[in-house]
Amino acid sequence: MGTQAADHISSENQKLLSRDLKANIVTLQTDFGHSPDLIINLAQLRKNTALYASVYLTEMIDHTVINSISNELSQIDAERIKSKSESVFDFLLNTVTKLRATRSGNDYTKMYEEILSGNTVFLVDGYDIYISVSTASDEGRAISEPTTQTVIKGPKDAFTENIDKNVFMIRSRVRNEALRIEDITLGTVTHTKVKLLYFNGIAKKDIVDDLRSRVSKINYDGVLGSNYIEEIIKTDPYSIFPTILNSERPDTVAAGLLEGRVAILCDGTPYVLLEPALFSDFLQSGDDYYENFYVQSLIRIIRYIALIFTLLVPAVFIALVTFHQEIIPTPLLISIAAQREGVPFPAVLEVLLMDLTFEILREAGVRMPRAIGSAISIVGALVLGQAAVEAGLVSAATVIVVALTAISSFAITNYAMSNAVRLLRFAFICIAGILGLYGISMGLIILLLHLCKLKSASVPYLTPAAPYIKGANKDTLVRFPLFKLKFRPAGISGTGKARTNGRNTMDPNITKKPEIR
Amino acid sequence: MKSRRVLAGIVLLANLFLSGCWSSREVNTLGISVCLGIDKSDKGYVISEQVINPKTIASKKMTSESPVVVYTQEGEDINETITRMTTITSRKIYHSHLRMVILGEEIAREGISNIVDYLLRNPEFRTDFYFAIARGSSAREILSVLTPIELIPGVDMFTKLKMATEEWAPVRGLRIIELANDLTADGINATITAVEKVDDGDTTNSTDTLKKSGEFEKLKFTDIGVFKQDKLVGWLDELESKGYNYITDKVLHTVGFETYGDNGMVSYDIPKTASKIKAVVRNNQPAITVEVKLTYDIVDVKGDLNVSKVENIELINKLVEKKLRIICESAIHKAQKELGSDIFGFGERVHDADKAYWKTVKDKWNEVFVDIPVTLELSAKMNSTGDITKSITQKN
Repeated sequence: MGTQAADHISSENQKLLSRDLKANIVTLQTDFGHSPDLIINLAQLRKNTALYASVYLTEMIDHTVINSISNELSQIDAERIKSKSESVFDFLLNTVTKLRATRSGNDYTKMYEEILSGNTVFLVDGYDIYISVSTASDEGRAISEPTTQTVIKGPKDAFTENIDKNVFMIRSRVRNEALRIEDITLGTVTHTKVKLLYFNGIAKKDIVDDLRSRVSKINYDGVLGSNYIEEIIKTDPYSIFPTILNSERPDTVAAGLLEGRVAILCDGTPYVLLEPALFSDFLQSGDDYYENFYVQSLIRIIRYIALIFTLLVPAVFIALVTFHQEIIPTPLLISIAAQREGVPFPAVLEVLLMDLTFEILREAGVRMPRAIGSAISIVGALVLGQAAVEAGLVSAATVIVVALTAISSFAITNYAMSNAVRLLRFAFICIAGILGLYGISMGLIILLLHLCKLKSASVPYLTPAAPYIKGANKDTLVRFPLFKLKFRPAGISGTGKARTNGRNTMDPNITKKPEIR
Repeated sequence: MKSRRVLAGIVLLANLFLSGCWSSREVNTLGISVCLGIDKSDKGYVISEQVINPKTIASKKMTSESPVVVYTQEGEDINETITRMTTITSRKIYHSHLRMVILGEEIAREGISNIVDYLLRNPEFRTDFYFAIARGSSAREILSVLTPIELIPGVDMFTKLKMATEEWAPVRGLRIIELANDLTADGINATITAVEKVDDGDTTNSTDTLKKSGEFEKLKFTDIGVFKQDKLVGWLDELESKGYNYITDKVLHTVGFETYGDNGMVSYDIPKTASKIKAVVRNNQPAITVEVKLTYDIVDVKGDLNVSKVENIELINKLVEKKLRIICESAIHKAQKELGSDIFGFGERVHDADKAYWKTVKDKWNEVFVDIPVTLELSAKMNSTGDITKSITQKN
């Protein structure tokens, strides 16, 4: 299954190995352009036996493995080996198979893939088959804490750039043989390793098939991050809303797999993709399940409020101040009017400028070297905020509105969703400046229509709110206690079976309070 | 196909901008009017607008400017006169936050239906402002009075009237919907409370007023103006106003006191009253029964009355009822015999009781009303004696 993609790429010009070792080596060196890090060691097991070559890229391999293999090879009873190349090949194969996983094949493309992924390839003179031994080095960043999706009480490990480590982190969380891992190689030039993970029997088969075909059809020279995949396979590629969940947390991915989602791992990115991902998933955090459900339900509602604030506060402010002054309570209107005495710009322009300033500050803060990071807050808060108000260039109310919007945008758990809403905010500001509340309502209608149209892996984006699914709203706006969440989220999983064995999540006797003195 | 799409896009976008900012106005270009005064003049109307000066109210900096500015214009027509204001102010007068409409006494006597029509018809006016009639001075003079603490006089009057309506029986705030209902309905006549300038020494309308704590000009809600159709015909004094509000079930909370013996006194708080007007028509003779139920709490006892004893409670009940009777009778007497205006809505009750009879008297109701017999069924009940029972000076 996993070789489908590779086949697809290599089928154009399949070059087969030759029986002549020297010819093979020449081809190898030409193809790699005599690269200094391509090591080709020629050796004989014994005098007068067939010549063999071990080929590897020196920076990509784990040298201790190579050492142990050569150690093993040197300790053999050389007398047993006959001069025939078959026996050398068999011997090599036997020896290395004992130590490491091996694969063999007979075409160049696949052999190159093995070499490029850090494996060592053995070629025996007179034999047109290579033996590849896993020697890839797992060097790279150690597992560290998540940086963008932090939680308070949950696990503190995050994915790294190494795909094998990432698989380990997921596998060690869900110890079950039903977890399926499919290999796909993507990137016509980069040959990036991509893995599709799902639970056999829980994930919907149609979704898995659809995703597999969409992912394996990616035709791009390089896949350097999971967003390359996300952007290409999205079913609504022009939508501003994310329909694929990005997570750097193995626990989130494990939970997603358990709910029947499909995970896409991509080598070189610490972010794993989960599909289908619905609107409500972008406002959830791992902490929702690690903390008391009353508290987390409230916090979830706060997140929704924050989303609405980010989207609408500046727009509504502008609409009220420039069109609908009659709605503002009299004391507030007087206060706003007093602040705006002598402010030179119309409210729309003022809010747009302040919002733009905030976005610039934010972008600068992200890109700036950490050492001078504190300077930006001084400039931002003091110079722009306070000084602008004191100079009478902007009104204090505008600064409050922009600050509220900015803080609200940080309360949205998912960065992609937060960005989408941030951008939409500007559209709403403009429409409110032109049409007032009427424009905002129009904008909201269009936004809602768009959201209703969206689908993530064939599941409507607003499920289970629209289409409304009865009884499926236990884990959306609020989180019900775990013992009430007997079923997986609607529309995602292929099985309608409960998550429990039997009817009840817990033994009914548990609720009887024992008296232990 | 593609060019057609582009064209459609341009048309849609153009629509967006063509409608462009219609009716958009920045807050700092508005003159927020909180109080509208309408007086009569030889030409027609003298209209005064009390416009807020926002920076004196909400700014942190101390200013010696007046918190409001009163603009006055004269003209033949209300709308024309208000629009004429643009010749004397730099701000567009904005009425959505209007709190009070003050009518001059003269104009009230002449008829207010066209004013109410204008205020109802114009979408810029909300419906939550109160009406008052300037008594003893022109509306313009009322508008010029500055008030400390609540710096905007219009808002000051509004909250004062609202508070007094809730706490003090003789005062009644009236909004435009109720006023319009009372003006148009058959069998009831409208009333509007009066506002009076109380000169406490100084009469200058300058911000110096705001520097004083006691002796300055104040605005006070006093009597209730009685209308016949849309014309002011007379005034109810404090006692009669109280009776009027008791009968029409408009008392939310008030207080009272009774004297007994030589120098004994019981004072009480009335947290709850309920009243009902019933009409019966017999032999083409309507008769009205007014039921008033009153519950009171003792708040102060002077003298040696033990208010915890049952016979004493009954005594106080009787006293309260007697006083209530005086109050209600005075209101009914004034309305029937002196002003001849059915402000209680007896006509509406008669209408409910006998529709056929009502049709015959509908057009001359105010004449019929004058002679209707009114029976008062009053009951007073003590709710509690407060936190203590006996007077503290009482020994046993």
